[in-house]
Amino acid sequence: MSATIEKPDVRPAQADVLIVGNGALGLFLARELSAAGAGSVVVVGPADRSSGGSQAAGAMMGCFAEATSESLRTQPARTRFELGVAAHERWPAVLAALQEHAPGGRPLLTAPETHVVLNSIGAELDNVNLAAIINALTEYGKPWQECDPHDIPGFNPRTDTRALRAILLPEEGAVDARAVLTALQADLLASGVTLLDASVRTLLGDSDSVTGAELDDGHVIEAGKVVVAAGALSESVLKTLIPDLDLVPTFAGLGFAMIARRTGGEPFRSVVRTPNRGFACGLHVVPQADGTEYYGATNRLVDEVGSTTWMADVRFLAQYSMQQLDERAASHEVVRWLAGNRPVTLDGFPLIGWLPRAGLYLMSGTYRDGFHCAPLLAAHVANELQGKPGLIDPIFQPTRRPVATRTVEGSIQEYVEHNLAGWFETGAQAAPQLTTRQIADYYRNMATQFYERVGTDYALGPDILWYAQGSLVGGRRVARYLRRLQPAAAGTGAL
Amino acid sequence: MTIAQQTTVAAVRTLVVQHLNLALPEGRPAEDDDLWKLGMTSLSCLGLMLAIEDEFDIELAQDALKEATFQNLATISAAVDAVLN
Repeated sequence: MSATIEKPDVRPAQADVLIVGNGALGLFLARELSAAGAGSVVVVGPADRSSGGSQAAGAMMGCFAEATSESLRTQPARTRFELGVAAHERWPAVLAALQEHAPGGRPLLTAPETHVVLNSIGAELDNVNLAAIINALTEYGKPWQECDPHDIPGFNPRTDTRALRAILLPEEGAVDARAVLTALQADLLASGVTLLDASVRTLLGDSDSVTGAELDDGHVIEAGKVVVAAGALSESVLKTLIPDLDLVPTFAGLGFAMIARRTGGEPFRSVVRTPNRGFACGLHVVPQADGTEYYGATNRLVDEVGSTTWMADVRFLAQYSMQQLDERAASHEVVRWLAGNRPVTLDGFPLIGWLPRAGLYLMSGTYRDGFHCAPLLAAHVANELQGKPGLIDPIFQPTRRPVATRTVEGSIQEYVEHNLAGWFETGAQAAPQLTTRQIADYYRNMATQFYERVGTDYALGPDILWYAQGSLVGGRRVARYLRRLQPAAAGTGAL
Repeated sequence: MTIAQQTTVAAVRTLVVQHLNLALPEGRPAEDDDLWKLGMTSLSCLGLMLAIEDEFDIELAQDALKEATFQNLATISAAVDAVLN
């Protein structure tokens, strides 16, 4: 393959801009800088991107299909949502430019549109989020239409999980993430950007500025500007230079997906998905460039970046793909297992901006749509690196206080709704006399106790709350950070 | 057992009784009583861990943040002493 990351005989010892991370954000940034003639650019990252989010991405080009009841409820969330809307407009030009480098000449855009289905196996959250999708489409004047689920190509669920309603979003499709990354690399190599198959051991610099980085084999690259775009690993990379850096914490949201080769039946020709479900992820299938199909995805916040997959997640994805998307998937051939770590911030907002060392910049924290937002964020960061006006709202500055979008009571209620959704989606059984309200009471009690024990009035999203109350590592990290935010409250509550 | 270790166990016992909301005779739970069987939950364990770190002004090693460390007073005290010493 012509576009693999090269190990040049003589690796550069200097660069004008060093980018740490070779996922979508890092590569698109390199492309912007190269196009702007911003000097020499070196991108460092392991060629296999083994735990990165981009290599495992479904890469749905969706922002409205991703809408939830939270998306437009507050101004910061709306600003975040509109980042996706603006990014979406950049993709046609990006794909037109990259297509010449596409592997095998196959189209990078693998699905032109998205069908969102509402089936009965999901919980109330499915209805709420489908309504949110339609409200957002209507408010922003985007096209959509009701359609008969029977008319969706490839969609062939089991009768007991059949869709009762479906809508078509004709302007939201998908790209093949792995093909786009390959095309990007070829484009960058042709432009003279250096791609190094390596990892950064430590950033170099002093108390005033960053001066470069040392790679895992000891090679040093001096650079006037260093951009860390290493996804869920970004924080640990930054702390090699600034151990006490007070960032909004980032957690690893480990997701599992699989790519399967169809052995029969009608193929999918569009993205077919549910609304976003409990703890962020809806079930979806995405056609790939080589004719295979991507089935995704799970999401679990974990203590360490890794590539492990749990049997429960394999079972979840395989069983529900067969039941809810296409029953013939049971005989598909799985050709690739994907695991990647999404960078999930404590407040759910990206981390984009300069850090307290001259020349050091962070772009991460994009959670589920880093791939989709990459062209816009890259253009923004390239501008900032060159001293030009930025393109996005400054609320994403990495050393901000966490953005507040909820009350504690709202957080508890949202946590209950997401857990109930998870309960029913996974087919959990309860004794017949145990009502939904009693299950909700259990989760409400868990969330209430968490807030009492940690003693904070900062309200967390359901995914962070789930992680923090279930992991001692996560709970300590969240609790210590929140206590630093409000020292007057430390030691209060039930502790 | 040294005096320092006895002191650690006694301080840990006080926090355990408080956070697990236990009504036990003086000197209980015993050092090897299984706290999970006494009703400790993931949430009460989280609160206990934070209180222990506050009380001793320490940060437990990340690899100590697991169920086995919080099995009983002896295992907790060993983890605390590992940091203190």
